Amino acid sequence: MRRFVAVRIAHAVVVVFIVTTIAFFLIHSVPGDPFQTDNPRITQEIRDRLRAEFGYDRPVIEQYVRYVGNVARGELGFSHSLQIPVLTALGGALKRTLALMASALTLSFALGIWLGVFEARHAGRRSARVANRMSLLLYSMPDFWVALMLLLAFAYWIPLFPAGGMIDVVMHDYLSPMGKLWDYARHMALPLLALTLVLTAYIARYQRAVLLDQMPSDYVRTARAKGADESRVVRRHALRNALLPMITLAGLAFPMLLGGAVFVEKVFAWPGMGLMITTAIFARDYPLVIAGVIVGGVMVTLGSLLADIAYGLADPRIRVR
Amino acid sequence: MRSAHPALLLATFGLFGCADRSSDPGAGEVGGTVVITVPGGFPPSLPPIIQEATSRAVADQVFERLADIGEDLNTLGDRGFTPRLAQRWSWAPDSLSIAFALDPRARWHDGRPVRASDVRFTLGLLKDPLTSSPFTTLLVNIDSISVADSLTAVVWFRRRTPEQFYDAAYQIEVLPEHVLGRVPRNQLRAANVASVFVGSGPFRMSQYEPGVRLTLIADTANYRGRPKLDRVIWSFSTDAGAAITQFMSGQSDIYDGVPTDVLPRLDSNPNLRVRPVTGFVYAYMAINQRDPRRNAAPHPIFADRQVRRALSMALDREAMLRNVFGPTGVLGAGPYPSALADSAVRMLPFDRAAAAAMLDSAGWRAGADGIRSKDGRPLAFSILVPTSSAQRMRYAVLLQEQFRAVGARVTVDARDIQGFIDRQNTRNFDMTLTAWSSDPAIGGIKQTWTTSGMVGGNNNMSYSNPQVDALIDSALTGFDPVRTRQYAHRAYQMIVDDAPAVWLYDFVQNLGYHSRLRPVDVRATGWAFGLARWWIPEAERIDRDRLGLRPPPPQP
Repeated sequence: MRRFVAVRIAHAVVVVFIVTTIAFFLIHSVPGDPFQTDNPRITQEIRDRLRAEFGYDRPVIEQYVRYVGNVARGELGFSHSLQIPVLTALGGALKRTLALMASALTLSFALGIWLGVFEARHAGRRSARVANRMSLLLYSMPDFWVALMLLLAFAYWIPLFPAGGMIDVVMHDYLSPMGKLWDYARHMALPLLALTLVLTAYIARYQRAVLLDQMPSDYVRTARAKGADESRVVRRHALRNALLPMITLAGLAFPMLLGGAVFVEKVFAWPGMGLMITTAIFARDYPLVIAGVIVGGVMVTLGSLLADIAYGLADPRIRVR
Repeated sequence: MRSAHPALLLATFGLFGCADRSSDPGAGEVGGTVVITVPGGFPPSLPPIIQEATSRAVADQVFERLADIGEDLNTLGDRGFTPRLAQRWSWAPDSLSIAFALDPRARWHDGRPVRASDVRFTLGLLKDPLTSSPFTTLLVNIDSISVADSLTAVVWFRRRTPEQFYDAAYQIEVLPEHVLGRVPRNQLRAANVASVFVGSGPFRMSQYEPGVRLTLIADTANYRGRPKLDRVIWSFSTDAGAAITQFMSGQSDIYDGVPTDVLPRLDSNPNLRVRPVTGFVYAYMAINQRDPRRNAAPHPIFADRQVRRALSMALDREAMLRNVFGPTGVLGAGPYPSALADSAVRMLPFDRAAAAAMLDSAGWRAGADGIRSKDGRPLAFSILVPTSSAQRMRYAVLLQEQFRAVGARVTVDARDIQGFIDRQNTRNFDMTLTAWSSDPAIGGIKQTWTTSGMVGGNNNMSYSNPQVDALIDSALTGFDPVRTRQYAHRAYQMIVDDAPAVWLYDFVQNLGYHSRLRPVDVRATGWAFGLARWWIPEAERIDRDRLGLRPPPPQP
């Protein structure tokens, strides 16, 4: 198992390195630079001085070698657009995105698996058909559209939740610890719901299909023959095997959720990674963009790695192979 | 105080903004919190390195100038200027220096007194190349600042000009030497906002959370009296759409720049008001007079003045304006914002038949496909446009259609903002839909419409007319207001007749605000100019207005 994990980590490092390299050269090949502006008061002399200060006057290859060296020492540079160190910027945004993603992932899997089991157990019945169509409808909707509709419905027409942001910028500091938690929860409700709804539908459909696949198996038939009731047959026998592919799905859902978070953060003004990186791209904030790509790459490969390890732990056949 | 050079040029251009300063209707109405949503997570900048409007609005609440520009925005001499940090000023007999006597009551937010040495320090900081300040070029006429005594700063000028007072009093926001003197000049951008934003203005820095919020609170001990509001918070949103939603849902109180298509939805909300603010930004289609591929060569189509004039006359500017902005649009008035327009300048008329005849006589004949050509070269060109501007994208399509009507084949070259700027700066375009934020000073015109603006200005279209250059120079060096006006008028008319651009529209910023707010002194120089005097009637206050200035409870 240790060798398996070591090999997977080595793969992950190589993937992140390649992704970082591609991102570095791509962003540097796009027209413009961080100090380019249509303000004539920023003279060429000022631009040249700033470019030299940050090393952008050097050949791109030299910049790349320096950058890789800096990253190896844990230095990710300085964000020109936010005027703070990249690590500080990432630290704030990453925890907000992770809070959103982790909550969405947990909720989606809990709800999705429950819904998938419900649909499989009641297959052919009216309630299962309704649930199935609902999940199909949600699955077919783009996440940004779901986000916009939720915003319109629950922040504007029926103002139950705040229209955006992470906290009440005025009152938050004056609230009790529980009040602060409630404030976070209210602000997170709509973005979380937007991310959760779409992913839940995806997981539910997947879980239903896998479970229906398991139901005609011999071991399920044996359980029924032994007199177990249908609920026990599904939960204790079929579901255990049907959950294995869900581990892989969890790994795959991570990048999917990260992509969705970009749009959802934008709609709900959630100050996370997605928003920060898209803003940085338009500002040609090279260090922030590349750092964002590194973090994104690490998150995706880490998700995949954890899924592989979990699968290996859950299914001894994988470890043997 | 005296008006050394009482020129009247700008005063003749009319008043702008909406000043409500007849009395102090909000006297005694102290308290309240205003939340302003802004798209993007801008980092607040110290005055010497400010580049964008929101940072300017924040800095103007924290820092102060020596004197404030008057309501008529006159920049010639000192007429209309009102004392700020400087209680009074006196001109040297030769007008080569002005002594500013600082208000002895003025204090920095940390309690230290404001001294003349701070004024001298600020100029040194602005002029230091390490600071990389965009304002250095505006201060070339200021030679130095000396300290006559602790409360008297003497500004020395290289030469006598009509706008020398404006340069000294308005272009410099005074900074504390004891705070910023220890920050390396090239580290100003990276300096900790909470520790370096120490000013003498009506509000003091309270909290800055990158990407989330910036909070200013009233400086209750301010020497000019405390502001009426307790607290002003800039809440950062992801983009304009999210910011407007927050404003419309009541989460914030102010949104500057409500798009025209959203206005009807605001009309139906009794809690929201909109006030159009005409500023100094105007949009135009610049016509490149150099070959985009070989900048040294003339443009194969647009170097011909008659062709430029014909193409300008082929455009129905009014119809395009109504199409894009509806009834609220303001038509471009010429090579200046409408607020500073010279109404006697005659614009080229819209006359498609005359335009076609002019193109015919210039040798551009229509072919079988309706597209004109000359010596085998089709009348085909592109319009560069930034994808970030919905209005300019719409204009590009309308222009394409109107040019087609006179036999020109136009392609729209849409670029993201950085690509757009890159193309403009390298003069790699035929026509570009650009915008320019002008300065109230007449000298601002040099940056765009004179030959000197081709280097170190934004004359990217390479427009050059020595007669215009001479007339503008004469206007800027003369002290007779009537002659100055005449010189400027002749230069403006010449620019319009040369058709180096088509002036499309002026930016009208729709300032959206909650109905409980009472705005004061909203000006073209910035809606937040009078923010310290905005007030909220006691009876209309909501929960967040009643917080007062008590600090938040300590964190457990």
